[in-house]
Amino acid sequence: MIASLRAESIKTRKRWANWILFGILLAWILLLTYLTFFLVVTLSPKSIQGPVPASVLKRRLFPENFVPSVLNAASSIGAAITLIFGALSTASEFGWLTVQTILIQKPTRSAVLGGKLLLLGVATLLLSVAMFAATALASYAAVTLDGSSSAWPAWEVILKGFGALVLQLTVWTMFGAFLGIAFRSAAAAIGGGLIYLFVAEALVGGLFRNTPVVKEVLKFLPGINADAINVAFPVTIRDSTASTQLVSAGRGVVTLLVYLVVFTALSLLIWQRRDVGGS
Amino acid sequence: MAQALAVETHGLTKRYSTGVLAVNNLDLRVRAGEVYGFLGPNGAGKTTTLRLLSGLLHPTSGSAIVAGAMPGSPASLARMGAMVETPAFYPYLSGRDNLRVVARYAGVPTSRIEPVLKLVDMTDRARHKFKTYSTGMKQRLGVAAALLKGPDLLILDEPTSGLDPQGTIEMRALIKELKQGGRTVLLSSHLLNEVELTCDRVGVIAKGKLVAEGTVDELRARSGGSALLIRATPLDQAQRLVESLVPGQVRVDGDTLLLSVDPSQAASINRRLVADGVDVSELRVSEQSLEDVFLELTETSNSPHRDPPPQAGEGKDQSAAAGKTP
Repeated sequence: MIASLRAESIKTRKRWANWILFGILLAWILLLTYLTFFLVVTLSPKSIQGPVPASVLKRRLFPENFVPSVLNAASSIGAAITLIFGALSTASEFGWLTVQTILIQKPTRSAVLGGKLLLLGVATLLLSVAMFAATALASYAAVTLDGSSSAWPAWEVILKGFGALVLQLTVWTMFGAFLGIAFRSAAAAIGGGLIYLFVAEALVGGLFRNTPVVKEVLKFLPGINADAINVAFPVTIRDSTASTQLVSAGRGVVTLLVYLVVFTALSLLIWQRRDVGGS
Repeated sequence: MAQALAVETHGLTKRYSTGVLAVNNLDLRVRAGEVYGFLGPNGAGKTTTLRLLSGLLHPTSGSAIVAGAMPGSPASLARMGAMVETPAFYPYLSGRDNLRVVARYAGVPTSRIEPVLKLVDMTDRARHKFKTYSTGMKQRLGVAAALLKGPDLLILDEPTSGLDPQGTIEMRALIKELKQGGRTVLLSSHLLNEVELTCDRVGVIAKGKLVAEGTVDELRARSGGSALLIRATPLDQAQRLVESLVPGQVRVDGDTLLLSVDPSQAASINRRLVADGVDVSELRVSEQSLEDVFLELTETSNSPHRDPPPQAGEGKDQSAAAGKTP
């Protein structure tokens, strides 16, 4: 597995598509989540401002709220980007037929995939660090530019928040990797994954959230469970929405861990048994 | 004493989920140290067989031992290098980086990369991205990757496919060079002259079955071997005369007669023809080409009911009914 991990590190590092994906994610956080919001709130005339004063709204961007901010990004753009990252990593091997090349080297099939999934995990961890750091820096810049003051969350909250971020992003990465292996096509894996993420779970789930049967199903879906974890890190300027969640944060963590194991196991199972090449 | 086998299969069969029977009860024996040509028309099952031997496909039934171990096992993979079908590499990586990836998977030191690049004459282009390579360069990089492990067994699937004439000649020379040092090379091809020029022994596969195996000369002999070719006037008179001399061994092919007889009889036959007033304008030994043998063997395999293929050297009594003159 270590041999496979070392080989994967070259491929992942030198693939521009990965850097572009990560760049989009960080740019989204810095430019849209922070800069745009800061400018709109700061520069909009008082006549068009809502009932909540700008000075209060801006607190969403300050260090006291950087953990919920980064988790909010993780559940939307972060999920999509890591899903694409995982799908590209596995599906491309089939598209380029390089799966043949790597499977006729020395390691077993499970060692080859084990190294690949391990590398995906490491890359997701590094991406989480980058997201966390970028968000923290942006929040510091926001409060400094505004001339206000804001306290950083407690270390315990920061560590738990980081753990929640890594867990969520890793689940979506492995979901993408699983789809890439199952479909053997980057387009199908990414298309299918994003449709699930934004249409099946977010849109349909949101619309029919109060239908009893749908509600029971939603309790088992990864996005809903990730959201349940995120509301455990409330923004300081409004009440927690925890009461509206379908499951508790604790159950959310357990469910995501189960998904992590299931996606990994299914990927290994298909990878191990599938014929490579031929009709 | 039995010669060591680099590849041995017993009843190897692969039926795809689509129902296609690609390999049918294949018994293949590749001796250690030889260049074995795996010959067959397109769709005969060559690549499927090589994928089975590489562990990329799981057999429906039967078994195989490749480089002393089960196909696809680390023990087998450690001793074999393969290029199956298209040379497949990462388009965004350079040739050298692609070999670094392969070397890391294979657990071989990266110091092996430069020697194999030099061997396939790719050192100058190794820093360029794979996606910019021509077909010939991709093929050569594929061979380089297969050689990285310094394998005892090298499996090459149509290595000259898509190469220009110069590249084809260079690849053949390389294959002959690779045989040095006791390495076994299993080479699949549908190009007859390629196999004839590079291989010690040949296995012919058609519709997933091995229909013949042996040296090129043995295969020729199986299908009638050499024949006497006679061009004479009048042809019908010459035909009657030689049929009286060697009954059942004469056939007419255009304006020539082909006699399935020992070439040492040429002088006596010539004397009889001239003595009976036949003008003999040409009399020579006609070697049957591998192409003739190939066509005969693969056409025969299309018959719905066939006996199991005879072993190498058997079947010399078969007539070359489908043969054609060179």
